[in-house]
Amino acid sequence: MKNKVILFLGLFLSASLAVMAQDNISPARKQAIDSLALEKVKDLSKYIAIIGSKETQFSEANRVMDRAEELFAPGAEMGVSSINTKEIAYYKVRRYFERLMALNYDRVNITWYDIQYISDLERQPDGRYVGVITIYQRFEGTSIETGMNYKDTTKKDITIYVEKKQTQIAGRTIEFWDVMLGDVRVTETSA
Amino acid sequence: MRKTFLIFAFFIAIISVAPGQSYLGGPGAIKDDGRFAASTKQLNQFFRRFNGEESVDGNTRFYPGDSLFQNQNLRKGFLSILFDNQTSSISPDLKNQFIQTVLSPVYPQYLIFHRPGWYAEVDAVFNFKGKREQVTFIMKIQPEGLGYEWVIDQVVFNPFKNLFNKPVGDKKDFLHPLSHELGFMNLRRAFQESNAPESFTSKSYKPDYLAIFLYEMKQGNLRFETVNDVKFHFFLIGGWYFEVNQFNRPGFNTGWLISNLVRLGPGDKETLLKYIYDQN
Repeated sequence: MKNKVILFLGLFLSASLAVMAQDNISPARKQAIDSLALEKVKDLSKYIAIIGSKETQFSEANRVMDRAEELFAPGAEMGVSSINTKEIAYYKVRRYFERLMALNYDRVNITWYDIQYISDLERQPDGRYVGVITIYQRFEGTSIETGMNYKDTTKKDITIYVEKKQTQIAGRTIEFWDVMLGDVRVTETSA
Repeated sequence: MRKTFLIFAFFIAIISVAPGQSYLGGPGAIKDDGRFAASTKQLNQFFRRFNGEESVDGNTRFYPGDSLFQNQNLRKGFLSILFDNQTSSISPDLKNQFIQTVLSPVYPQYLIFHRPGWYAEVDAVFNFKGKREQVTFIMKIQPEGLGYEWVIDQVVFNPFKNLFNKPVGDKKDFLHPLSHELGFMNLRRAFQESNAPESFTSKSYKPDYLAIFLYEMKQGNLRFETVNDVKFHFFLIGGWYFEVNQFNRPGFNTGWLISNLVRLGPGDKETLLKYIYDQN
């Protein structure tokens, strides 16, 4: 009887460890997930530049906004603060893009710094993983009529959610890691 | 002192020339002059730099088994740049003592993300009964479900400060010791005639401000508006306390940095925690 209990416990423990091992993200897997997340951030950066450009037609900007919105998990928000006020103003992602599109500059130039930082991935209570990617953006807006030239550099801390998903391909179940963007903290820097 | 300065200067120089991955803007990307590379951009980077778990340029994460994982010289360089060197008044001597403790060859110490002993202090703004009010939350990390979560451990809220001013000794209202013989009919004094009903509570009574805060929230009397500041308190290094703040300013000494450092004597940790938690 005692032996049976030990055998059962042994089996239970090895099964639990197998599940845990499956859920851990190895350094190699993490690197692959980082690359995927960076691709999404790259897409977002490209979309922001298109939406912000005055040369983009209204209909095209709307189409790009749709694409950009698809990168985000539902309900994601942009939290924006400036050098003058630390208070955060919250915008739904779509609203943030619409505000960007409506800026009153004749020329808008959005560029990115050649640096980024990717955090570790931490597991949430629901089993999904969460991480943060930090990038820096340079914004320049010029108004021909007033001669006003506005420049700022913002730090964007972008939440990424990483989740293991399954799909059926030709009757076989394939597992893959999916990345969605979440809340974005936008901070004006002193640079 | 001179040695520390040289290590510091050398580290900044290395970080400044570290090539970032130019994935974002491709050929049009702006070249960082080293300031963003040097900045401790996330608290996650503060942990990694403190522990010596990433390369100098921040592009490579070191894991157990990697030759440079928690390397002492790497840590030494990182630790020298993790202090606010512009506005804080931490003496170089105290700083060196701390670095020596952390890098002790016999008992090196590390920051462990999931270990209890570090707290976030979050300043937020709420609308309370039509008026904007500052609220401070003390938060900590706890295991939950399949992972971890940040939770509110305490709230500091000015309107609650003088809500419970319990008098003591012979100055306070009380229920006399034979009240039970009257079936506590004199509770009327506590609940109808007194404007300090807390007078009738036990010596050990402590108001739970977080419960009151949550109750007011559920009643619709409190509405969240915004967050305006965050800092962190660390008790993870034995015998030491330090505070980490975010510095958004020009230059190379920016991001999440140690702004306050205290060597703890017996009982100091409890005093500091009481100060952080009991600001009401």
